[in-house]
Amino acid sequence: MNYYYLTCRSLTYAQRVSGALRTAGIRNMVVRTPQKVSRDGCGYAVRIPGDSLGMALGALASANLPPKKVLVIRRDGSTEEVSY
Amino acid sequence: MIYLDSAATTVQKPKAVREAVYAAVSNLGSPGRGGHRYAMAAAETAYLCRERAAKLFNVRDAERIIFTMNATHALNIAIGSLVHEGSRVVVSGYEHNSVMRPLRAAGARVYVARSPLFEGEVAASVFEDLLRKPADACVVNHVSNVFGSIMPLERIAAICRERGVPLIIDASQSAGTIPIDNEALGAAFIAMPGHKGLYGPQGTGILIANHSAEPLMQGGSGSNSRSPLMPDFLPDRLEAGTHNMPGIAGLSQGIAYVLRHGEGNILSHERALISEMAESLRRLPGVKVYRAADTAQQAGVLSFEVEGRDAEEVGEELSNLGFALRAGLHCAPLAHETAGTIERGTIRASVSAFNTQAEIRSFIRAMERVTRVAK
Repeated sequence: MNYYYLTCRSLTYAQRVSGALRTAGIRNMVVRTPQKVSRDGCGYAVRIPGDSLGMALGALASANLPPKKVLVIRRDGSTEEVSY
Repeated sequence: MIYLDSAATTVQKPKAVREAVYAAVSNLGSPGRGGHRYAMAAAETAYLCRERAAKLFNVRDAERIIFTMNATHALNIAIGSLVHEGSRVVVSGYEHNSVMRPLRAAGARVYVARSPLFEGEVAASVFEDLLRKPADACVVNHVSNVFGSIMPLERIAAICRERGVPLIIDASQSAGTIPIDNEALGAAFIAMPGHKGLYGPQGTGILIANHSAEPLMQGGSGSNSRSPLMPDFLPDRLEAGTHNMPGIAGLSQGIAYVLRHGEGNILSHERALISEMAESLRRLPGVKVYRAADTAQQAGVLSFEVEGRDAEEVGEELSNLGFALRAGLHCAPLAHETAGTIERGTIRASVSAFNTQAEIRSFIRAMERVTRVAK
């Protein structure tokens, strides 16, 4: 299964994103952003299952909490930034 | 010992505060410094505390809740962000050294809006006059730590909004007892301790940052670590270094206590105690009590003097009798200058949600003894 990482500017922002997604009924987890996709150094992201992206982006737009970036991490370990 | 020094720090805390501090020492890591269980438990604890504070003070988003060491730390960040050499700053006549010293160090031109004790209407009009000229900042002590007098915060905030003057609120004595609506006030910064009316442990404070702010310290923030500069976003910009997690865990429980009991109820309780204390002290020979005629102008702090007695000596005598009060200038010489008590100082009694009527009556009996000796 693929996962999407919604990268965030800070841990606290990631926690706000996580709360908004939870309110919208979307399973998620605050995690460290993998170094291979982070150009800024240490940071946090919210990980969501591959089938939740559309709903998650809608919920975050409603809450005015846009993620910094959206990345897909595939089962084979490859990553790619997703434009949204 | 009966504790009547809650304006300095509250010693009686909710049980949940003590338990949270104790548990945090063994169970919490450092928020923002890892993805393991201990770090994430700390992150959740810190975030819950921010959310509770945001709810209590009606702050739109929890990122504006900045953890500090105390109110002084928070005020230094606020003043350092707005005030520079030559800045014109208007302050109330009841400011603490935690405001006056940073202003002095910054080289500000300070204009004091002096007003008589417990005269909110007069205070508002003096601020209005002084803010007719442009100012770089206005600082208001919401409740005097010496006299418990309440400043007309909403009126002063409205004047500042109208004139475009950034407002810094020192909520050291009001946070947790008088409702503060951050969004309605529109202040640039609100600074408060965590260890007084919010019932957290010492070493905690909060800055509500609605204005761009300059960090007092630089260092690790757990974010943007490749950059040599502090992040430009909150709260990370103002929170360099490892957080005081036992303190924050306790503070979170303290705020939960205030949310559960309600600031209005806590204030009513404190006012009832202060009112009884003032009325009883007033009847004692040679005791001068600084009490508002209109009880709505005073919070849970009461200053008094004993004629012919040094304030510190009376404080020491009361301590020997089992009562903890604070005497002297209370780190607020400006407040004493404004009220005309700078030469003598005062003895200050201050209460919290945990004080009882029986304690106040016991204190009055002790004061009867002190004043008999004085005669």
